[in-house]
Amino acid sequence: MLRFLARRLLQAVPLLFVISGLVFLLIHAAPGGPLAIYLSNPNVRPEDIERLRRALGLDRPLWQQYWSWLAAFAGGDWGYSFSDGRPVAARIVERLPATLELVGVSIVAALALTVPAGVVSAVRRGRWFDRLTTAAAMAGISLPAFWFGLVLQIVFAVGLRWLPSSGRTTLGGGDFVDHVQHLVMPVTVLAVVQAASWSRYLRGSMIETLAQPFVLAARARGIPGRDVIVRHALRNAIGPVLAIVMVDAALLVSGAVVTESVFAWPGLGSLFTEALARRDYSVLMALLMLTSTAIVVFNVVADAAHALIDPRVVEA
Amino acid sequence: MTSVRIIAIAVVLMLGALSACTKRSAATSPSNDLLIVGYDREPDTLNRFSTHILEDIQTCVVEGLTTTDERMNVVPLLAADVPTLQNGGVRLRPDGGMDVTWTLRPGVAWHDGHPFTSADVKFTVDAINGPNYNPESTDGFDRISSVDTPDALTAVVHYKEVYAPYDIQFIRGTLPKHVLEGRDIDRAQDYNRSPLGTGPYRVADWKAGEYILLERVPHYWRGDESPRIRRLMFKFIANTNTRINQLKSGEVHVVALVPWDKQRELAGLTSIVVHRTPGNAYEHVTLNERQFPPFADVRVRRALIHALDRELFTKTILDGLAPVAHGPIQPVSWAYTDRITRYPYDPARARTLLDEAGWRAGANGIRQREGRPLAFTLITQAGYAIRENIAQAIEHQLREVGVDVRVELHDGTAISALWFEGRFDAMLHWWQMPADPEITTFFAADRTPPAGRNINYFKDDALTALLYASDRSVDRAERTQLLHRAQAMVSEAVPEIPLYSVTRLDAVPASLQHFKGNPTNTGIFWNVHEWEIK
Repeated sequence: MLRFLARRLLQAVPLLFVISGLVFLLIHAAPGGPLAIYLSNPNVRPEDIERLRRALGLDRPLWQQYWSWLAAFAGGDWGYSFSDGRPVAARIVERLPATLELVGVSIVAALALTVPAGVVSAVRRGRWFDRLTTAAAMAGISLPAFWFGLVLQIVFAVGLRWLPSSGRTTLGGGDFVDHVQHLVMPVTVLAVVQAASWSRYLRGSMIETLAQPFVLAARARGIPGRDVIVRHALRNAIGPVLAIVMVDAALLVSGAVVTESVFAWPGLGSLFTEALARRDYSVLMALLMLTSTAIVVFNVVADAAHALIDPRVVEA
Repeated sequence: MTSVRIIAIAVVLMLGALSACTKRSAATSPSNDLLIVGYDREPDTLNRFSTHILEDIQTCVVEGLTTTDERMNVVPLLAADVPTLQNGGVRLRPDGGMDVTWTLRPGVAWHDGHPFTSADVKFTVDAINGPNYNPESTDGFDRISSVDTPDALTAVVHYKEVYAPYDIQFIRGTLPKHVLEGRDIDRAQDYNRSPLGTGPYRVADWKAGEYILLERVPHYWRGDESPRIRRLMFKFIANTNTRINQLKSGEVHVVALVPWDKQRELAGLTSIVVHRTPGNAYEHVTLNERQFPPFADVRVRRALIHALDRELFTKTILDGLAPVAHGPIQPVSWAYTDRITRYPYDPARARTLLDEAGWRAGANGIRQREGRPLAFTLITQAGYAIRENIAQAIEHQLREVGVDVRVELHDGTAISALWFEGRFDAMLHWWQMPADPEITTFFAADRTPPAGRNINYFKDDALTALLYASDRSVDRAERTQLLHRAQAMVSEAVPEIPLYSVTRLDAVPASLQHFKGNPTNTGIFWNVHEWEIK
């Protein structure tokens, strides 16, 4: 198992190297740069722009900029933010807890919706529950997150005034109930949207598994129906879904960009939006590398989890 | 049964969660204890010399020698008086330079108790011109040769040449010498995140991505009576809809620069007043003569302005919120004149002018000359509903006189690069003008990028000479006369199409007293020490 994990992680290193080069090229290809924001100020003169360009090292050839970034990044130095001059690592670390909290709770909530919805609708295929979840899933997949979020705000914050419309805590609040109140709406948006697609995958995977001979064999041996579904069928069916869940989770950790921005959630997603608008190259590079690494690592974790459920995977 | 049971459990859990939530509402009433401001962005730094957006938060903490009031007059703040030629504060030297003597208000101390003196003024100039700091702009400071400090309350600033906007040279404040001397200011995060100031508030807390909390200082120099409001909280809510929703739900109390298309949504709220302040910015269409040579013909430019029903734009798309603009200097400025050429909506006149210029109607209704169509691209920034609507209206109305316009939307960063490199035909945008009416950078022939902001690439030697003369005058009467002539010349030549004066909309609680507003980027908090909730 350990060798399996080590091999998978080592394979990832050259992949991440290639990704870093591509990402670097892409963000530099986007029009404008970190200095663009200064141009709109008539008092910033050409001499000022040149001085700032030199000070930020943006006057050097692109390959030099990449090389010095890569050397520093590999050595654990993520550099300084182009917009506020603070260390990039500090900016990311201060945003990380908010994102982990939001994404962690959302994934648990989404799984709590996914598993029963997926399993029951597969088992009772074509019955009213299946039709209901199918319709709900279609709605969930089609909902734009920002629109769904704004509707929740209008109903629960502006209309009913039950919930705070944005942020993570109230000033002077910060206790458990206050935290939960702030989490309800963004978690609802993320969980509903994720569960909508995950439950479809699980349903499909379950239907396939339930048709397998071993399920019939289990039934024939007189194993109770519920045990057949949970211990035999679900255990086999959830593997592929878990891989999808892990990749989605990795993307969410790097920032639930839209949801965080609608709910002014102080996580990595809103940091990414800000950094993108400012073309804050150093922060963008760090965030995108974090996402890539998270996807690679979570994929390995998904494989490992799959292997634990189904030992045949390690041998393959 | 399983499914029914699961649904039942889920419903019970949801109801439980919601009932727990209803115990408390997130809304609070504005009070003299806490006023919550919804802010569209998180500042990158609170060092006023490192960022050009004179952020409202800084205004509450750091004070300049002067500031601008609600009518855009330059008024003294930490200076005892605004130096002028008349009061002897400004002296022109025979060598072409000038000396400005600032007398500082006595008895002012930094928040740490250290006295505020002329040494801080001198330190500020030296730091900005020195090697240890990368401020955003050195404009004006680079023309200062030295600063003398004959005593603690007098700073004499020696300019190498006459610099007309000298009175707002220190509007952003000063840097505390005793904190920053000898340090790398770009990396002085203690100062940049929580600047030491002399203002009514100090930074109590900055929660990244969430809010900045300011609290009243114990002994403000205006007296212990002010400010009245104990804490100001600036919440960062980038999404405009969310910001407006919070205003409606009472979670925030103040929103500065309300987008115009949101004004109607707020009109019905009794707890909120939307203040209108005539602004010092103007929306206009820049015509890039270098990229699209037909713009170089004044007949074409006049035809375009005659073809646009700007009154209709302001009445319909702008909901009557803003008046039509006729030039680059707005009525709120002391340098404004209405003795200029105006161009009423007159499509027949537009057609005649285009005919005279040789642009004849082609087969598809688009005018042509020497086989080339009169067709150009109009770029503007995406995400502003009003601006996008105006762009479409322009496209439609110019089509009526046979001009083909294609609208292109770009994000804010991308569009800056485009205009700075001159890679566009026409652009719909505005300039936020400083309190000083200098327009040289926009119209002088030698101030095309990168040397300035003349992105019309408009060249008129007489106008250029006039503008430079106005920059070299510190005599208000003389400068007024020169700028009046410049405005008349600009209106004759129509280097760009002015559309409307920007009106600032600021939503504040109906219970807030002494709110005055501000047309410049000094922002609405310039008199926050007077604010009170009643």
